[in-house]
Amino acid sequence: MLGRVQQPPVNPALRDLERHDFWAGFAAVLVGLVLVVCGARHLTSIETVEGGTAWETQLMKAFSAGGLQFPEQLVPAPPPKGDDPAALERWAKQNSQYSAPTWKVRVDAGATTPCPT
Amino acid sequence: MDNLEQKPKEPAAGPPGGPGGCADCGGEAVHGPQSTVHSPQSTVHSPQSTAQGPQSTVQSPQSTVHNQGAPGGCTACGGEGGQSEGKALGRRLLRSRPWVQAGFAGLWLAPVGQWLHGIPGCVFHCYSCPLSALACPVGVLANYAALLPVAPEMPYLLLGVLLVVAAVSGSLACGWACPFGFLQDLLGKLTPRKIALPAWTGHIRYAVLLGLVILLPVVLGYKGIRFDEQTVSICRLCPAGALEAGLPYSVQGLLTGHGWVMSGFKSGLLLAFVAAALFIHRPWCRLFCPLGGLLALFNRVSLFHLRFNPKECVECNLCRSRCSMGVKVDQKVNVSGCIRCLECTTCGAIEPRFATPKG
Repeated sequence: MLGRVQQPPVNPALRDLERHDFWAGFAAVLVGLVLVVCGARHLTSIETVEGGTAWETQLMKAFSAGGLQFPEQLVPAPPPKGDDPAALERWAKQNSQYSAPTWKVRVDAGATTPCPT
Repeated sequence: MDNLEQKPKEPAAGPPGGPGGCADCGGEAVHGPQSTVHSPQSTVHSPQSTAQGPQSTVQSPQSTVHNQGAPGGCTACGGEGGQSEGKALGRRLLRSRPWVQAGFAGLWLAPVGQWLHGIPGCVFHCYSCPLSALACPVGVLANYAALLPVAPEMPYLLLGVLLVVAAVSGSLACGWACPFGFLQDLLGKLTPRKIALPAWTGHIRYAVLLGLVILLPVVLGYKGIRFDEQTVSICRLCPAGALEAGLPYSVQGLLTGHGWVMSGFKSGLLLAFVAAALFIHRPWCRLFCPLGGLLALFNRVSLFHLRFNPKECVECNLCRSRCSMGVKVDQKVNVSGCIRCLECTTCGAIEPRFATPKG
């Protein structure tokens, strides 16, 4: 025996036929296609590590691969502890070129971190 | 048992109740809301009454006895023995759906590396999965939202892809192309009885879309918390992420001696999701999926749609009984709760259509 969900009696004559207008859907498709084309050719305002600005597709790829870089990630390491003058000199040499980045976020198109979250 | 629903079995190509079974109405000997011959709205099929012919068909305003074996066919179901074009199309679609779903799952899981991750897909599928081919639209949208305080950008490509898919087919991708939906369908087949959910629960999806996918990343972004550092985010709460990314990397971690890398919370989330999928049909789709909610908003205007044909309707209520998403198909079918699995089209009165300029 087959059970069925309880339901009220239907009246086909009174039921909404739900006719669909072609032009509303067609207009939405056209707008979507324009957005796709624009998006595929869209250069964002975000810089890349290599220089230049990132394509929208590069930005999206960076989301999934941990390719977004923020300035706080590039803060230089603190000076080494201890009295080793060689280590201190090495540290100073490494960070002599460091200056606070002017960008807020940039894209590393070559990042391949599997799961950023 | 009031809150339990049992999905009718898939009608076979021939009369499943035997040589005289009713193929049009689902093929069982007896069915109906009350399963009683003279109760209101009841529908009783009598496959054994073939020899008695049309005389054995009893019809009253509220009750109908189907007799598929009668010379005229089953009077209650249209009298054509299930051979009408709409019904035949519905059955063909129903039989092909698992194969189409499997094909799309193979497409989304194609081992092509990450070079296509710059293109958003139109289904719910974690882009951190080692095999994912395209980017997850929900994850991309949440990332864009989190980036808003730092670098406001408009996701043109994402919006365009979703708009094209939604305007052409509505939520058809949910029922036929979503790998996560396919998985839930498979899990759901393990247990016959399902818990029915009230219709209002479908609105939770929009709360997830607005709150968890858009507003929360923006607010936390303004507080200076990057998306990958946000402890509460759609990606951290997503069961697809736990299944498609957390699980493979955890198994890999076990094999390489790094242990189980997925957090206890996410592991629990995955278990809870699997358990829910056994007893609720497509729990993620019905309750939480922001993408499904977004696509379903276009069900009313999409070019592909479902059309009710009153001439074919015999009030058998098969359309609503077959709907595993709990949509009141007997009232309206192009609604936001529908995933367009097209199961309701097997009754023949609801037909899949593609809108044309001529109407």
